[in-house]
Amino acid sequence: MLTKVLSVANYGLKAVNVDVEVDIARKGFPGIGIVGLASRTGEETKERVKTAIINSDFDFPNAKITINLAPADLPKNGPGYDLPIAVGLLASMAEITLPEEKSYFYGELSLDGSLRHTKGVFLLAIQAKEEGVKNIFVPRLCANEAAVINDLNVYPVDDLRSLIRHLRGERLIEPLKIINPEDLLTDIRPEFDFTEVLGQEQAKRALEIAAAGGHNLFMMGTPGAGKTMLSRAMPGILPDLTEKESLEVTKIYSVTGNIPPGASLVRHRPFRSPHHTTSTVALIGGGTNPHPGEVSLAHRGVLFLDEFPEFNRDCLEALRQPLEDGHISIARAAGSVDFPAQFILVAAANPCPCGYLGDPKRECRCTLHQIVNYQKKLSGPIMDRIDLHLNVPPVDVNKLMIDQSQSNAEPSAVIKQRVITARQIQNKRFAKLAHVHTNSDMKNCHLKAFAQLSDKANLLLKQAVNKYALSARTYFRLIKVARTIADLAGSAVISDIHVAESLQYRIRTSE
Amino acid sequence: MASIFDKLHYRGNWNENLFKKTLAVVGTRQMTHYGERVIDKLMPDLVANEVTIISGFMYGIDSAAHKKCLELGGKTIAVLGSGLNHLYPSSNQKLYQAIIDKGGLVISEFDDDFKPTLWSFPQRNRTVARLSTIGILIIEAGVKSGSLITAKLGRQMGKKVFAVPGPITSLVSAGTNFLIKNNLAKMVTDISDILETKSEFTQEKFLRDLDRTEEKIMKLLANEELTIDEIAHKTGISIADLSVKLSMMAMKDYIEESNGKYLVIND
Repeated sequence: MLTKVLSVANYGLKAVNVDVEVDIARKGFPGIGIVGLASRTGEETKERVKTAIINSDFDFPNAKITINLAPADLPKNGPGYDLPIAVGLLASMAEITLPEEKSYFYGELSLDGSLRHTKGVFLLAIQAKEEGVKNIFVPRLCANEAAVINDLNVYPVDDLRSLIRHLRGERLIEPLKIINPEDLLTDIRPEFDFTEVLGQEQAKRALEIAAAGGHNLFMMGTPGAGKTMLSRAMPGILPDLTEKESLEVTKIYSVTGNIPPGASLVRHRPFRSPHHTTSTVALIGGGTNPHPGEVSLAHRGVLFLDEFPEFNRDCLEALRQPLEDGHISIARAAGSVDFPAQFILVAAANPCPCGYLGDPKRECRCTLHQIVNYQKKLSGPIMDRIDLHLNVPPVDVNKLMIDQSQSNAEPSAVIKQRVITARQIQNKRFAKLAHVHTNSDMKNCHLKAFAQLSDKANLLLKQAVNKYALSARTYFRLIKVARTIADLAGSAVISDIHVAESLQYRIRTSE
Repeated sequence: MASIFDKLHYRGNWNENLFKKTLAVVGTRQMTHYGERVIDKLMPDLVANEVTIISGFMYGIDSAAHKKCLELGGKTIAVLGSGLNHLYPSSNQKLYQAIIDKGGLVISEFDDDFKPTLWSFPQRNRTVARLSTIGILIIEAGVKSGSLITAKLGRQMGKKVFAVPGPITSLVSAGTNFLIKNNLAKMVTDISDILETKSEFTQEKFLRDLDRTEEKIMKLLANEELTIDEIAHKTGISIADLSVKLSMMAMKDYIEESNGKYLVIND
């Protein structure tokens, strides 16, 4: 008997309908053949489904079984088809009857028949809503991902047995209650608070400016100065994710299996810090069935690249498109996929290979040649796309102890409030522009209209250009940073004090 | 000021202060890219030192000097070689208006309806030279040019003459190089050559500009090099305010930054 079960495949950030057809023939030699699934995955699926059915106290039919996953030309991968195949088999064996309403089945089976956490459930739920599919049967561990989509019955399935009882009408599974995204996205506490970072007042201010204007940031400092701690605290001063942003991020996290069991929407702004040995594909995304990379996992959040000059040259070059366009297109023979990748880049580097150049306490062991080579890597197209540059000096631990006792460090929540206010000003300013949301998005042609300098500010900037031999690129970047500083101060015009402060964050040619 | 002339026609708001510290900036009509860059380099500091720029309103160096000065928020005086009703060159209509709007003056010794003639321009040069208190700066000039006439007139009046050297292959630098070579003008390679010594400029600014906090910062830095965080800690000034102060002080050459630490510049 032939049965058809509905399921989905993930392609890029979209789920696509897949029909799982299961046929148990009366004639022919016993055996199972799967078509339409990558061969290796097919072999594995076969074994899991067979064992799970037997361990759920059913006899596995001794007949010729053919399983087809259609459409055949769509690349299908992963263990999510275990459940629809098992359900199809059981239905073909007339052990169960399928629900009359359209239903998706999706999930990986364990050998004992229980369902495991499977990636991509959130995308499946979105597809179900678009297709008018009423019921979805997914593993309980990731069912909450789907629970934010309304008009949908999300059945959390523990194991094959309970699903069978449900489909036989013996004991029904209670569908999940819809979760209101708004409830999830309020009252977010930062994972790291600025009060936890001792000292480094200038760096904190720089991060505040970066957060307010969406600027990329570069930090240079000796090991242990607190560069990583500072960057970790940055998502906490960015405005909370809006519902739309959270849905975008959740898609990426769901399809990569990064949503922890039981969790629903992504609530915190992402913070990603890939190691400098990361491959280009892992950083940018790719693979035959294109998969989002770190730049997309950092979407709407912070991408922290420590030991920046140690990254592979190709990796850094590949960052150009996402930095420029806010997304990354990955073209493969089968077609191209677009992943969003709008993040704030925080790059960090030591001043030299050993890290201690300029440190008052430890001696640098690098040769001049090494230092020159190292710093050479710190120039080029990516550095040109970074608006704020700063030195993070080593901190004196003894001094910090004293400081801490009389600490009046600002909590992240206070800084965040200022950032939000500055962002609101920018939203208003750029309301009519499609691709400009923050000051850092401004192209040079926008500066005249949106970043007017006062006469004094203009004079100061021109003087600085002469004094420090600044390039035209730096000149425009400084105007953008000054615009953000003025926004933080609630000032409509950019005056000389705003330019003066921005000068602190200019790029320094190797000192 | 007006008393040294028999008569003087002007447009704009008369302001004696404009004439207190003035520099005549003159040069060729055939300005090259080099001349433009020289103006870009020198003008910010001149404007910052509140020097009024006087020039002859001609196209080329004259116009570029007027324009740059205005762009940087400075004050400028244009001396015409014609009556004020005969704007020459007429393409400078916009500049004419901008000079007046930004608090400068357009002046002429000639009656309003006087048409420019061959001899009126040298006469204009004399006026330009007479009005300059600091001296006459020549940026790009040919060997036989009005600018050299201005320089000669200026010397006769006892004014200082400055010239910017240029490539020896450039025709429009031949005049300035000639002046320098024959000790007829002081060579200018940066602004301190014009504004006498740097220390005069700095000290003057020092006394006038240093406020309490800045003095405090100077005293701190006199003892040791400090990072911005350390200065903030010792003075109790917020990082944002301190950033502004330090940038300003660095721009005025009181202090400089090296490897993330600030130190006092001793000169």
